[in-house]
Amino acid sequence: MGVRSFLILLLVLTECFSCRNSPNKASEFVFPEADSVPLGEAEKLSAEAIADISNNITSPVEIAYLLQIMNVPFSPDYLASSIDANKQPTTFDKALTLGILGADLGYLNMYEKTGSSLDILSSIRKLAEGLSVGQFFDFETIKRLSLNKSNLDSLLFLSIDSYTQIDKYLRNNDRGQLSALMIIGVWIEAQYLATQVVKKHPDPMLRDRIGEQKIILNDLIMLASPYCSRDTEFNSLCRYLQEIKDKYRDIRITYTLGEPVSVEKDGGLVIKQTETSKVEMTGEQLAEIIGVTAVVRDKLVLNN
Amino acid sequence: MWPLKINYSHMKKYLTALLMLLVAGFIVKGQTTDPLVSNCVLNAGPDAKYLKDFRIQLARAATAGEPRYKAQMSLWKNTKYRFSMCNSEDSNGKLILSIKDNTNNEVLSSFDQKTGKIYPYVDFICNKSGIYQLNYDFSGRQQGSGVGVVSMVK
Repeated sequence: MGVRSFLILLLVLTECFSCRNSPNKASEFVFPEADSVPLGEAEKLSAEAIADISNNITSPVEIAYLLQIMNVPFSPDYLASSIDANKQPTTFDKALTLGILGADLGYLNMYEKTGSSLDILSSIRKLAEGLSVGQFFDFETIKRLSLNKSNLDSLLFLSIDSYTQIDKYLRNNDRGQLSALMIIGVWIEAQYLATQVVKKHPDPMLRDRIGEQKIILNDLIMLASPYCSRDTEFNSLCRYLQEIKDKYRDIRITYTLGEPVSVEKDGGLVIKQTETSKVEMTGEQLAEIIGVTAVVRDKLVLNN
Repeated sequence: MWPLKINYSHMKKYLTALLMLLVAGFIVKGQTTDPLVSNCVLNAGPDAKYLKDFRIQLARAATAGEPRYKAQMSLWKNTKYRFSMCNSEDSNGKLILSIKDNTNNEVLSSFDQKTGKIYPYVDFICNKSGIYQLNYDFSGRQQGSGVGVVSMVK
């Protein structure tokens, strides 16, 4: 082997491992399963449309924030504690579980239960590495911030930003089906959290937030639709989403018009929207949504 | 067979390439903690909870028209959002945000057309859940790079 070949090999190896977080990963490197989707399938939705759908999904942080406004105490019962990151054989399982645990991490962080989030962080790390996207999750910094409990802003930013980077990377590398799974996982877990809490704390704000999910459910189904016939796992997931959508069919969202009111305050601008939205949902409809959400979420978590 | 004679000129070239790739590797990893973004997040205020950011880089536009960077985001009733705009030092223009609802009505703008004032942040008390369109551009459609951070505030 000449100097030239040796240096080229060295360059390639250096670049491969410079994207990884810890030196011991070199021995754990496993080629991912064939999980790229033929372009024709992924092209059914434009990149911009998928990015928009990703932005439209309710953040679990927003749900947790609403729960805090309602003075709902933290409960570990809502977490997907039964998930074992080591028992996720397929990329489908890994990506969906990554989303579910991402939602749990958001809930824990918002309630500053950062010490408890270490187990979840470790599972997220395994799953992300299993999908070869571990380089986008700065585990060491997130872990340090979690242990210090010092800087919630940085912790929230790093956690959410890591998921955003993973999502973007998957979409840009013809692995959009994994990005879709992650987003669906986040949404289902956040929806589960909201629907479980509303049983004990029937606050109108939370009730409305659950009903308002009708606004984005179609987008979520559209996100999954290019992959529904891909395999049995995706096929089941698409069916579950449709079951949830069916329960929303008769819920109505109405609007009243109004002009925004703005005032200047501390160098910034404060704008109050006077236009309002109103959810028309009966107790029976809400109960059905709570029921179907729990069934679907448990199937996804327990089947793992 | 390993050659006995080493060509130092080639060696220097390869080592320079190696150094450049290593630097590139660090830059790629550093993208997740862009200082402009993290500073903008941290400057959003002590009560602000980070939700999302939009990283915008635009060249100067020759003609007038609609804002050039568009993204959708769902905003939910009973939530107070803070939209912060930060510019990099080398930007000629200041980042401006306007938001439209699903009926294409403008619900807010960080640029006051009457006074010409550009606000660095806008708090929006949302009372109508829905999907909104966020439109960003730089003042005078000039060149610039910046970040728009969305947070929640009490």
